[in-house]
Amino acid sequence: MTTTLYGVAQGLSQLLLGTLARVLPSALAGVDSPGAVEALAVIIVGVIILATSMVNAIVLIWWERKLLGRFMDRRGAMHVGFAGLLQNFADGLKLFRKQPLTPAEADRLGYYLAPAAYLATSLMILGFLPISTGFIPGVAPLSLLMALAIFSFAPFFIFVGAWSANNKYSLIGGMRTAAQLVAYEIPLLFAVVSVVLLTGSFDLNTIVMDQAKDGWFALPLVLGLIVFTVAMLAEVERIPFDLPEAEAELVEGWNTEYGGMLFAMTMLTDYLRGLVASYLIVLLFLGWWPLPAGPLTAPLVSFPLAGILWFQVKVYVVFAVFVWIRASLPRVRTDQLLQIGWKRMIPLSLLNVVWAAALVVWGWPHLRWPSV
Amino acid sequence: MATDVKGIELAGKAKGTPTGPPVKRTPPAPEPSGVVSLVAYPMATAARQFVRSLWRPSTILYPYERLEDPTFRNEVKVASGAPIGVGQIWDNYRGVHALNIRTCISCNLCMFSCPDTCIEMVNTDLGGGKTKKCPEIDYGKCSFCGFCSDACPEGCLTMTASYTITTHTRSEMIYSPERMFAVYKSKLPMNPIRLARPENEDRILLDEDLCIGCNACARDCPTKCITMMDIPKPTAKPGEKLPRRIWKEPTVNDEDCVRCGTCISVCPKECLYWGGGK
Repeated sequence: MTTTLYGVAQGLSQLLLGTLARVLPSALAGVDSPGAVEALAVIIVGVIILATSMVNAIVLIWWERKLLGRFMDRRGAMHVGFAGLLQNFADGLKLFRKQPLTPAEADRLGYYLAPAAYLATSLMILGFLPISTGFIPGVAPLSLLMALAIFSFAPFFIFVGAWSANNKYSLIGGMRTAAQLVAYEIPLLFAVVSVVLLTGSFDLNTIVMDQAKDGWFALPLVLGLIVFTVAMLAEVERIPFDLPEAEAELVEGWNTEYGGMLFAMTMLTDYLRGLVASYLIVLLFLGWWPLPAGPLTAPLVSFPLAGILWFQVKVYVVFAVFVWIRASLPRVRTDQLLQIGWKRMIPLSLLNVVWAAALVVWGWPHLRWPSV
Repeated sequence: MATDVKGIELAGKAKGTPTGPPVKRTPPAPEPSGVVSLVAYPMATAARQFVRSLWRPSTILYPYERLEDPTFRNEVKVASGAPIGVGQIWDNYRGVHALNIRTCISCNLCMFSCPDTCIEMVNTDLGGGKTKKCPEIDYGKCSFCGFCSDACPEGCLTMTASYTITTHTRSEMIYSPERMFAVYKSKLPMNPIRLARPENEDRILLDEDLCIGCNACARDCPTKCITMMDIPKPTAKPGEKLPRRIWKEPTVNDEDCVRCGTCISVCPKECLYWGGGK
C-alpha cells in the first residue's frame, strides 16, 4: 500500500476540480490546472489533520476519564455511546448551544483572541509531526525547532486571556503560567538537544527515520526521556504541574471567566496539547510507529494503515502514563516546581547531553572505543 | 466509666480522669522526601488500585445493576457480617413505609411524632362502606428518621428496604395509605429495628368539674379503652341550678390505652389532661 496523505488529498482535489471543470466547461475552464489541484490538496490535507486531531483529542478525554475511573475504583462515563465514548461529544454539543457571555469589565479583544490563538497555535504544531510512513503533513529542515517554538507560544496567549478577563483568579493563573515557563523550558530543550546530537538533524522526519534504522532513543537516552516527559507535563499544564488551573485554590484558574464554546475551546486545546506532547514523546524517544522488529511483530505491521494504528497505540500508552501520574501525585507549589526545574531537571538534562555527546564520540550507532 | 454498647468510652475522659497506663507517644514521623517516597510509592499504590479494579470496580452501575441482584449476594453483607438473602439490601434500611391498614387504629401517633409534618391522617376506604383515618406520607418532606414507625403502637407502620421513590412530579411523592398497603402486601424486607423509647408514664386524668359527658373521647378513642360510666345525678338544692350536662364520665382503661392523646385533642371542654406519672 502506497496510499499517502498527499496522494489521497491530490486524488480528492483532482476529482473535485475535474468534476467542476466538466460540469461548467465555459465558466471554469482552467480550474483543474496542476497548480490549482496542488493548492486544493494542501487545503484538504489541512482539513484532514484538523478533523483527525480534534476527534483524537476528544477521544483522549474519554481515555483519560476511563483510566482515571479505574484508578479511583469506579467506571468513568458509561451511558452515552459504547462505554461512554460519545459522552464528550455530547458535552461539546451542550457547550456549543450555550450563550456566550462576556464579563462586564473585560477587554473584549484579548478575551476573545486568547482561546482562538491558544487553539490555533496548538493546531499549527500538528503540521510538522509525521504520524506514519504515509501520513507526513510537512517536511522542513528545522521542523523540530519550529514545533517546540510554536508549542511555547501558549503561555503568552494564556496570559493575555487571563489579564483581559479582569478577574483576580484568572490573573493569578496567568501569572503562574508565565512563572512556570522559566522552570521547564530549559530542561525541555536540553532533552531535545540530546536527541539532535544523536541524529545530527532538526528535521523530525530524519529523527524518526534514524530511530527506525538504529532503534528507539528511549534506550540510550532514558534520562532524556524522563526529563522530557516531566518537562512536557509542565508544558501542557497537567497535574502535578497544573498551577495555572489549580482548581482547589483558583476556581478554574486562568479560564475562570470563559464559558460555553470558549471554555470548550480551551478545554479541547488542553487535551490537544496533551496529544501533541504524547506525539512528541513517541516521535523523539519511542521510535515513531514501527514496533521492535522480529518474527512476532511482522504480521502486526503488514496490513494497510498499520502505521497510523501503532503510532496511535503508542500515543495512547504515553498518555496513559500522564493519567497515571495525574492519579498518583498531588499538585506542587510554584516554588517546588521551580526547584524541580532548576535543581533537578537542569542538572539531569545536562548530564543527559554529556552522555549523548559521549555516545556520538563513541560512534553512535556502531559503538567503538575511540582511538586517540 | 460509662460506656455505650460498642464499648466506646463516653464523657469523663475529657475532664482529665486517668483511665489507664499513660500512652507512650511516638515522635512524629519525618516528612517524606526523595523520589521514592514522593513519586514512586504513590505511583505504585495507584497502579495497584488500577490493577485491582480492572476487572470490576467496587461501584455498582446503578440503573442497570442493583444491590438486590443475586450477583451481589456475597458482596453485600449486613453489619454483623452475615450474608443476607437475595432480594434484600441491608435489613435495617429505612426506605418507603409499609402500612397495614387492617391493623391501623388511627391513633395519630405517627402524625404527632413526625418532625417534618409530612404525615397527614386521611380517610381510607376499607371496603363495604367503612372508612378509617390512616396516615398519608409526603416523601417530598420525609427525612426517613423512622420516628413514626417507632411510635406506632400496633406495629402496622414499618419501614422497608425499598428506595426507589424518584418521580417526575411532586404530587406523585405523596403516598396514600392504599399505596403503602400495596407496599406492605409486596412482602419487602421490613426494618425489624424499633427504637426503645421511654414509656409514657402519664395517664389520662379528668377534671370532673369541667366534663359535660359528651362522649367525644370515647367515640374517638382508637383502642376503645374509654368507657362512659353513669354518675349519680345530684339532687339540686333549692335555688341552685344544676349544670346542663349528661350525667356520665369517661373512665380510661390504662392497660389498653396507647397514650395517643386523641381524647385530649377532641375534648370540647379541655377537661382531660396528662398526669399521675413520675
